[in-house]
Amino acid sequence: MIDDHPMIIEGYKNTLLGENQKEYQIKIDIASNCDDAYDCIVKSSKTVPYDMLFVDIKLPPSSDGSITSGEDLAKHAKELLPKSKVIILTMHREDHRIHNILKNINPSGFLIKSDLTSSELLLAFNNIVSGTPYYSATVNNHFRKMMTNNFSLDEKNLKILYHLSRGVKTKNLPNYVSLSLSAIEKRKNQIKEMFSIAKADDQKLLEEARKRGFV
Amino acid sequence: MKSVFTIISIFFFICFFTACIDSESDQTNDLKSNLIDTKINQFKDKSKPENERRNDLKKAYGIISTLPDNSFKIEKLREISIGHYTLKDFELYKDMNYRALRLSKKLGDSLGMAKFYGLLGIYYRERQLDSAYKNFYDAEKIYASFDESLQRDPISYAYDHGKILIDIAKISRKVKDYSKSEALTIEAIKKFKLSGNEKYLHLCYINLGIISKYIERYEDAVNYHLKSIEYSEVDNRKVKNTVFGYSNIGTVYKSNKRYEKAKEYYKKALSYKEYLNENPKTYSRLLDNLTYVNFLSGNKEGIPDNFYKSLRIRDSLNDRAGISTNSLHLAEYYQSIGKDSIAKTYAEKAKDISLELNNNEELLKSYEILSDVSESNIGLTFAQAHIRLSDSLQREERLFKDKFARIRFETAEKEEKISKISRENQILLFAILGLSILFLLGYIIFRQQQNNKELLFEQKQQQSNQEIYRLLLSQQVKLEEGRKLEQQRMSEELHDGVLGRLFGVRLSLDGINQRANDGFTDARTKYIEELKSIEREIRLISHDLGTEMLSPEIAYVDVVESLVSDLCQAHEIEFEFANDENIDWELVDNQKKVNLFRIIQESLQNIFKHAQAKSVKINFDYVDDKINLTILDDGIGFKSSKVKRGIGLKNITSRVKQMNGVVDFVNNTESTGTTVSVGVPM
Repeated sequence: MIDDHPMIIEGYKNTLLGENQKEYQIKIDIASNCDDAYDCIVKSSKTVPYDMLFVDIKLPPSSDGSITSGEDLAKHAKELLPKSKVIILTMHREDHRIHNILKNINPSGFLIKSDLTSSELLLAFNNIVSGTPYYSATVNNHFRKMMTNNFSLDEKNLKILYHLSRGVKTKNLPNYVSLSLSAIEKRKNQIKEMFSIAKADDQKLLEEARKRGFV
Repeated sequence: MKSVFTIISIFFFICFFTACIDSESDQTNDLKSNLIDTKINQFKDKSKPENERRNDLKKAYGIISTLPDNSFKIEKLREISIGHYTLKDFELYKDMNYRALRLSKKLGDSLGMAKFYGLLGIYYRERQLDSAYKNFYDAEKIYASFDESLQRDPISYAYDHGKILIDIAKISRKVKDYSKSEALTIEAIKKFKLSGNEKYLHLCYINLGIISKYIERYEDAVNYHLKSIEYSEVDNRKVKNTVFGYSNIGTVYKSNKRYEKAKEYYKKALSYKEYLNENPKTYSRLLDNLTYVNFLSGNKEGIPDNFYKSLRIRDSLNDRAGISTNSLHLAEYYQSIGKDSIAKTYAEKAKDISLELNNNEELLKSYEILSDVSESNIGLTFAQAHIRLSDSLQREERLFKDKFARIRFETAEKEEKISKISRENQILLFAILGLSILFLLGYIIFRQQQNNKELLFEQKQQQSNQEIYRLLLSQQVKLEEGRKLEQQRMSEELHDGVLGRLFGVRLSLDGINQRANDGFTDARTKYIEELKSIEREIRLISHDLGTEMLSPEIAYVDVVESLVSDLCQAHEIEFEFANDENIDWELVDNQKKVNLFRIIQESLQNIFKHAQAKSVKINFDYVDDKINLTILDDGIGFKSSKVKRGIGLKNITSRVKQMNGVVDFVNNTESTGTTVSVGVPM
């Protein structure tokens, strides 16, 4: 279990240990930052590999700066412990982040902390142990959105829409999305074309994006 | 602007008015000149008695004196003076010429001056030789200056110049300055030939002939007299001149002691019987001279009968000069034949008349004869008188020469003085001119420097204004940045820390709740749900905090608002501030921003100081690509006359001008208070 908040880990433990003690023998290692987590992963890969990893996305980065988040950590874990199941537990529920995590890690479990209740956690745990992946309702929702549109927006486009919906002005977008202003404008026009609302203003674009569930 | 217009209109009015007067006076002047001309023409009617003619002249002069001073008046004065001359009213002639001369001097008419000097010379030449000389000399000077300046056509004044020259030549001859007289005569001949009018040429040659006789160049003298006859052929008084010419040649030969030749010419002259019958005076002179030559040559023909004959004629004509000459000749004759007593009688007669006529030459001669024919003691007295007279004559000649020299010298001196003064004036003028140019130059340089300084100052002011704004803005931006950072930190803290922990607590509670079965599970589940909703709320707050709400454009408005609020708080006045969202402050250049900022500052200062306002309203509006700033207060308003001089409003006006904007100060007299509205293009 990798989380920088001991309180959360305690919550996980309370949930899992309280109910599942009879059926499973659960042994839990705890790491609160990337360095510790990485060490544990390396160590277990050499000894007894973990069956399951609980990974928070937002974590204090490693001291050498090579691992900056749970995302990076999960990638390493996939390499080092190919058989272990990775469960992402995160506070972030923004579409582009969900999209990103799904694409980069393809975790066995994807739980949004704000949705999570202990029963859901248990349900997810049991599902994953039995081999079925489990995603939170928010994540599933994301999937649904992706499927209902016969096209998909890449991460950058989603980011643009997301920031626009937050009220960030187009000209300030380069500060949030690593793209030049002209590239952002181009992308915005592309999105508008995809939404078949070419030449509409940003207001319209956002309305459409909300309707289609991209925001 | 108004005053300039008034001045121009007055100027035009004066021009118009004077033009009216001019035309009016022109009319009366025309009338007068017509009257003058008729009077002068009436005068020219020689059939009228002299007194009437004189009256005509006087009337003409009366009208002339009312004329304004101009060349026409001068010309008419000249005509009148000539009229007086023909009537032999020489004093009036002199007066008129003096008047005309004064007028010419006044008008700067140098040609007129020369003319009237000449006419005055003519008046004096029979009366006062030195005055005549002076006048002629002055006239000559003017003509000579014309020759030098080459500004006038030399032909136009050559004839008048020639007349003056021949007059001076004659005066010089009279005082026996022969070389001078000769030179002047030759000069006069040149002038007459140049003018094409040869009326006076024969006079010139006569003068040359007489001079040559005196300096004993007899051949030349004869030639000159012949030439004088030649030139007189164009003259209508040809016969008279011929007779006089021959007579003169005879006299030359007589002086040269070539008596036969002299006789020949006297006889030639005497052959013009018709003329001589009409002019017995000339005839008697010729007869007398011929007889005298005969006597001198030793020829007794017609002696002394012809002397008597001519003397009789002269007696009958009362030709005093002739009688004197004749008497002398008779005295000489009787002296030669030893009849001293008769000779003495005639000599005495000649002496008396010569004294009377001032004919010194003959007086000398008569003294000479008398001293010879009288008894020794009386003769001595006459000899002494002779010496005395010849001495005094020589002295007089010398005196005249000196006088003339002095006149020339004085004139030259005067001229030199005038030229010196004019030179001094010139120097003064140049000095003044130079000084004023220097002053002007200095002033220009001073102004330039001042302008440069002003420009530099303005530039600096602008720079510092921009710097101030930049600092203000950067301060504001930093403030905003700090706030943003703080917000982000709070957002993150909320999201990652508080939210996480809350989530952990909720999860643990939930987990425990699943296991506990004490009948309170549902209640706890409800609280756990409540916790979940709290989490959601916190996340929303965190989101909002993380969102960027500030941009530099808002920063300017913030700066302004903070200024307004700070000042208003300090002075305890309520304020309203509104910014039109449509103004894109980022597109407005800093200069304008600073100016608007300062205008607000200045206006607020005015309001605080003078308006006694309770509240202020400041608006930025966006209308037609223009930013309209309105500052409204509910104070006591202002007196425009007082405020116009205030530096505050001047500053505002100049700032608005700098931005090509318009400013309006409205004094809301009805609803107390003042509105300052400024419109500036984007």
